[in-house]
Amino acid sequence: MKARGWLLLLLAALLALPWLLPGYALEVAIQALILALFATAFNFVFAETGLLSFGHAAFFGGGAYTTALLMQRAGWPYLLTLPAAVLAAALLALAIGFFSVRTSRIYFTMLTLAFAQLVWAVVHKWYDFTGGDNGITGLHPGALWGDARALYYLALVLFALGLTFVWRLHHAPFGYALRAIRDNPARAEAVGLSPFGYLLAAFTLSGALAGAAGFLQVAWQRSAFPDFLYWTKSAEAIIAAILGGAQALFGPALGSVVFVELGAFVQSRTEYWPLVLGLVLLALVLFLPQGLAGLGGGRARG
Amino acid sequence: MLEVSHVSKSFFGFAALSGVSLRVAPGSFHALVGPNGAGKTTLFNVIVGRYRPDAGEVVLAGRRITGLPTARVVRLGLGISFQRAQAFLSMSVLENVVLAVLAQQGRTHDGVRELAGYEDARAAARELLGWVGLAAAADAPTASLPLGDLKRVDIAMALAGRPQMLLLDEPLAGLSRAERREMVRFIEELLRGLGLTLLFTEHDTEAVLRLADRVTVLHQGQVLSEGTPDAIKRDARVVEAFLGE
Ligand SMILES: Nc1ncnc2c1ncn2[C@@H]1O[C@H](COP(=O)(O)OP(=O)(O)OP(=O)(O)O)[C@@H](O)[C@H]1O
Ligand SMILES: [Mg+2]
Repeated sequence: MKARGWLLLLLAALLALPWLLPGYALEVAIQALILALFATAFNFVFAETGLLSFGHAAFFGGGAYTTALLMQRAGWPYLLTLPAAVLAAALLALAIGFFSVRTSRIYFTMLTLAFAQLVWAVVHKWYDFTGGDNGITGLHPGALWGDARALYYLALVLFALGLTFVWRLHHAPFGYALRAIRDNPARAEAVGLSPFGYLLAAFTLSGALAGAAGFLQVAWQRSAFPDFLYWTKSAEAIIAAILGGAQALFGPALGSVVFVELGAFVQSRTEYWPLVLGLVLLALVLFLPQGLAGLGGGRARG
Repeated sequence: MLEVSHVSKSFFGFAALSGVSLRVAPGSFHALVGPNGAGKTTLFNVIVGRYRPDAGEVVLAGRRITGLPTARVVRLGLGISFQRAQAFLSMSVLENVVLAVLAQQGRTHDGVRELAGYEDARAAARELLGWVGLAAAADAPTASLPLGDLKRVDIAMALAGRPQMLLLDEPLAGLSRAERREMVRFIEELLRGLGLTLLFTEHDTEAVLRLADRVTVLHQGQVLSEGTPDAIKRDARVVEAFLGE
């Protein structure tokens, strides 16, 4: 009951935010929401299966480029590109996952990184189709989604849907099957679970969610750039998840807010953001291995 | 019930099994014994499809299962429990068994309904926990259990698909004397009562003599002898193989 009260309060605050924040701060808040969705997507696979993907930028960027290309070349209205972006990201995740989820831990991480960098290289060089390193710019998401408040609410809705999705999977037999495979793959097989199908399904769903985050990013920047697919984008999701706490449902979102807000604050004052980030991460690993969610007392996977 | 014929398996040129044949009659308790490194666990791994044999066949209830993936073999009615007790340590005891029940029924694809709401699977899991004497520990975190109880969870999960046959790899390993005695009685009562066929390995001679109807002795990857426990006890080659180690 108490938890529900806090949740309602948080929801009210999130709904009121666009009317309280000045323009620039709202832009930062939207960015935080987009990263929150992206990090939650990444963390679904990381927390439930123990596999650390270093290639989620491919799905974020895959979704973003699908949206940008459909708007630029086919004249699709922004919102209609959402299903296509999600589907394209899911298919990309299916393909990359097919070759990666069979391998164990460190090989999985390296393989997903390699595949994502491959996708980045293609987008980066294919000037005729993707605009190469110039990206795709000057997109107009329409009068409504060009408005920061509307975009904020769209991001909030998608983030809430993504979070609900992950929460449901966690408590359903599918989530238990994933954690069984993570806890003890040999035992999981001996109760009749074949790991490959479950891991591939989880990776694909996670990629689909990351694609939705990429879709939002296009409206926020009115562009798509190869940076969306670069390994540093994958690292943002990883950092946000670990910063907030990978074992908590809200952990990655919390980490995203801190990452984006702190980043904006520090960058407006100094040019030493990477240094500050490094120190924050160091302190965290040393003193708060459970992430910021660990401050709230343990494993809140409600 | 289970027929293993002429199975061979080498690791990097080392023959862990060479031409092993074995027949387990329906309803019998069959022990597989032998010194450390004889190939007992390797043979189990071949049977359950974790290793593909270099040669030979495995037939379960008239069906060829050689090389089938473990998850398939299990669903064909073979329950498996491991040498080292294993469970899903992030879950409660009941959740472990509920998941095993749902997995056996092919109902783990569901990503919407809460596991906690599957009343039929929970009832089945509670019954299994009752069989292994763990009904009271249903809500305990698995990670907190002593080894003896962990083995019981493991056996409850192995029984989740109501198999016709069970494989137990060293069910007594790591247990105290008292726990051993209890486990032997438990295996006798429960599995005989269920009419299960059992193939097990064990180093505890006393337990083997008490439980087994037939004994197969494995030595350096080959079948050295097979017979009733009494006959095996008197077999000079067997005595030599064990003392010669
Ligand atoms: N995956 C593997 N790779 C290489 N060698 C292996 C492998 N599995 C088993 N072996 C070897 O095969 C031989 C038989 O091992 P196995 O585990 O089957 O013996 P065991 O009869 O179960 O012994 P124990 O009583 O100690 O459990 C050993 O020499 C072992 O080192
Ligand atoms: Mg062994």
